[in-house]
Amino acid sequence: MKDEVQRVVISLPATADYVDIVRLNLYGVASKIGFSYEDIEDMKVAVSEACNNSVLYAYKHEPGIMEVTFEVYEDALSITVKDEGESFDSWSKTADRASLHDKELSEAQIGGLGFYLMEALMDDVSVESVAGQGTKVVLTRRLAKSEEKV
Amino acid sequence: MNTNKNDKFSATSQLENDTCTVFLRGELDLSVAPDFRQVMEPLVGDEALNLIINMKDLKYIDSTGIGILLSILKARHGMKAEFLVKEVPDQIQKLFEMTGIAKFFAAQENSQ
Repeated sequence: MKDEVQRVVISLPATADYVDIVRLNLYGVASKIGFSYEDIEDMKVAVSEACNNSVLYAYKHEPGIMEVTFEVYEDALSITVKDEGESFDSWSKTADRASLHDKELSEAQIGGLGFYLMEALMDDVSVESVAGQGTKVVLTRRLAKSEEKV
Repeated sequence: MNTNKNDKFSATSQLENDTCTVFLRGELDLSVAPDFRQVMEPLVGDEALNLIINMKDLKYIDSTGIGILLSILKARHGMKAEFLVKEVPDQIQKLFEMTGIAKFFAAQENSQ
């Protein structure tokens, strides 16, 4: 059992109305593993941003699907958000992954905050994008030692 | 799909003399961003108003919501009109600090 990964997979319409369903599922899975309330709130934001990307950029105005996989490890939770739409290009181009910290209000850009938040809130973020085959965002958060179950 | 968006998020404005307070409740995310924009639009353009957003009952905000707040900050700053946020929950304040928008709110607060 030790190295066995347990998976929960959900498939949803890639529309804004379903992103809250992903948050509800995340809450269920993450609390089962023993993540703290604050950690779960962080992960909710990060996962929603990954879903927002699929909703906004993957399928343009065509209906499409996003698939969310929760992988439960002994000491970590990894969440994959996958779509089969256009590549991630549009997001990575508009998003320079920048925060507003070094900016004046007049030069502050609205784009890019989502990606910045994902990176700031998770331990690992990876984005794989193949033109025409969709995008896969993998977000990983490790359990803090004090939170680990004995 | 016909979702009951009012259960998820609401923005209710309350006018008292020349101060308008907008109370946010629930989850402000991509799906309700158009509703939030619609409530805010006429208020943001009114430079005679002191505009306040109360976030006491706001449970969640994503980058779309933060983006709208940033555009309101820009517009109000350009008009030299007041715009404050009040009773921001800890989790949301953390996101404001993380993204850097917190300093713009602080600057508004200090300019009063």
